[in-house]
Amino acid sequence: MNETISLWGQRLYRQFSLMLANQPKLSYYLQPLLRWNNAELHPDYYSARIVDSGWETEQILSVWLEPEPSWTGFTPGQHLLVTLLHQGRYISRSFSISSSSGLFAQQKQIRISCRIQPQGQFTKALAADIAKLTHLSISAATGDFVLEPQTDGAPQQSIVMVAAGSGITPLWSMLNSLRCWTSPVVLFYCVKNAAQAAFLTELRLLAAKQPLFELQLIETASTGRLNLVQQLKENTKVSLTNALYYLCGPAAMSRQYKDDLIQQGVPSDAVHAERFGLELAATQGPVKQALLIEQGKVTTIEAAAGVPLLQAAEQQGLSPRFGCRIGVCYQCVCQKKSGQVLNLRTGQISGDGPEQIQLCISAAHSDLQIEL
Amino acid sequence: MKLTEQQLSELAAELDQVKANVMNQLGDKEARYIRRMLLTQRLSAISGRILMVLGFVTPWLWVFGVALLALAKILDNMEIGHNVLHGQYDWMNDPVLHSKRFEWDIACDAGSWKRTHNFEHHTYTNIIGKDRDFGYGLLRLSNDFRWRLRNLWQFVTYLLLSTLFQWGVSYHELAGERVFFGKKKADRVNSVSHSDLKKAFFGKGARQLFKDYVFFPLIAGPMWLWVLAGNVLANLIRNLWTSTVIFCGHFTADVHTFTQQQCEGESRGHWYYRQILGSSNFTGPRWFHILTGHLSCQIEHHLYPDMPALHYLTVAPQVQAIAKKYGIAYNSGSFLRQYATVVGRIIRYSFPGGKATPA
Repeated sequence: MNETISLWGQRLYRQFSLMLANQPKLSYYLQPLLRWNNAELHPDYYSARIVDSGWETEQILSVWLEPEPSWTGFTPGQHLLVTLLHQGRYISRSFSISSSSGLFAQQKQIRISCRIQPQGQFTKALAADIAKLTHLSISAATGDFVLEPQTDGAPQQSIVMVAAGSGITPLWSMLNSLRCWTSPVVLFYCVKNAAQAAFLTELRLLAAKQPLFELQLIETASTGRLNLVQQLKENTKVSLTNALYYLCGPAAMSRQYKDDLIQQGVPSDAVHAERFGLELAATQGPVKQALLIEQGKVTTIEAAAGVPLLQAAEQQGLSPRFGCRIGVCYQCVCQKKSGQVLNLRTGQISGDGPEQIQLCISAAHSDLQIEL
Repeated sequence: MKLTEQQLSELAAELDQVKANVMNQLGDKEARYIRRMLLTQRLSAISGRILMVLGFVTPWLWVFGVALLALAKILDNMEIGHNVLHGQYDWMNDPVLHSKRFEWDIACDAGSWKRTHNFEHHTYTNIIGKDRDFGYGLLRLSNDFRWRLRNLWQFVTYLLLSTLFQWGVSYHELAGERVFFGKKKADRVNSVSHSDLKKAFFGKGARQLFKDYVFFPLIAGPMWLWVLAGNVLANLIRNLWTSTVIFCGHFTADVHTFTQQQCEGESRGHWYYRQILGSSNFTGPRWFHILTGHLSCQIEHHLYPDMPALHYLTVAPQVQAIAKKYGIAYNSGSFLRQYATVVGRIIRYSFPGGKATPA
């Protein structure tokens, strides 16, 4: 009943707003007035004031943000979409929050920590603009990469975390937010060398203070890749099959470790993984033709195998709407009318019929027709 | 046809280069410009509507209010709406300024506009039988059309069309698709069903009518008649202005028309050639260009419909030089001169005959 009323309310508001302002919501109409002084803020997102910024390592930049009061908060481990106006253009990327829930409760602040990638469009722009920026736009926090609540009475499971590089951010937020330690936690932190490890001082401090926490720093430049199963078998604190796993790093790494663990008899729902970045399937094959239809106007683009359709469309002069470019925010969703696409995140090949696809993570698998 | 295919392809390369030079530089400047336009538009719309109600203090406030609302509507339709709907600001990735989502303060539904204007008119500019914007199926503007009795009073038809221009534009697609009247054409491929066309036409039209002629008068209480009259007047001013600007861009004495045979399988160079000859510019001060949505540079707009319009003035001299080099007529003149030739054309072709339009 209440839902029906609120649905009708929403429809009525939309109609009213369309009538009055020709916009689906009045905030779009009022945006130029309300934010005349902060035109860089994106109308769909919350505003967050930049409190401070600083380098954790040579490559990892931390930004402390104070979200506007209506921002809905977060659970440690979650990520959010950060949007920046760079050279007149909104660009977005998702980041895990790297600060604790305590910091937000006490000071209404959160921190994001980004590895600045020389080829990365967003992070490069962020590093270049950070000195002159006063605000960033942020989405609500989302994601289910969070610590499973341990039920009272049930036997406590130990926790194994694996972080690769900047994959430490959600895990450090979880660890730093833990108030009540009841079971052992082991963190394998893989970095090229210690100089590139963010939050290392804090982690070492925690390990010294908290007997249930064990930090294993893996410097891959000197000791090579982490052999997770081997390490766990040697570890006396945790039992390999009766632990909860939290993996955060490149998709290929997470998948590899997950497969290894399942082979050892770990139930697959005990392994949580957060993927970073878009993994491009290294597919090869002939270039396909994609017909992009916009209001009856048809543009033909060349869509090479493994190249996201969004990128292919942009390279050929089109500007479809986009957001995070890694399949998180669903702003680039379009209707595919016919043809098959490869989902670059899951590796799945779609059916041939009409369906909604995300342009940023879909590549042509056959010739296509897409309604932009 | 004076230019060879070789020359046409060189022409295309030169004009492409002019475009690339601008498009590679897009950034903060254009974003700030269009946001400032939005702010100006919002401020004049809101203050215009408030001032109209204050007409009881002195009628001059009402007059000022009407002028501001008319200005807001003109900016919304021309410098903002028309250009945003062409996708000129899509690169900004801003939901308020993206062609996919934009809707404007005019009776015409944005989706319908993008099909008839962006697609039909801009692709088939001045090809008789393909571009229904040439005379809108109402006016005989060249001797490509057979003379009919109703053309005798087409100057009155023209004045009526200008007065109700937003409704003419809004009904344009439904007229072409023969939704209500006329024989359905077998060869037309409908990209949108008739029921969707009707829904968009009546839905958008009703919202606009309700806003200006019911909602705002109602909330003005005792001043309702002033507000109603003011809104009618503001819409009228906008209609006359937009109609005049568009007529001056396409129906001046020297624009050329084309036959379907001439353009079958045409090259990009020929498309450019046709756009230059099918459009005309007029001159004026900077604020004047802004009020026309830079359609005072109709030639540049037709060559580069997706280039942010504030650049038309800067590329115009380059385009003119290229046109001169290839011996293509570049039709430009003062606003009054161009408008006089438009009126002359409408009147001349009210009568049978008339000289053939060059192509």
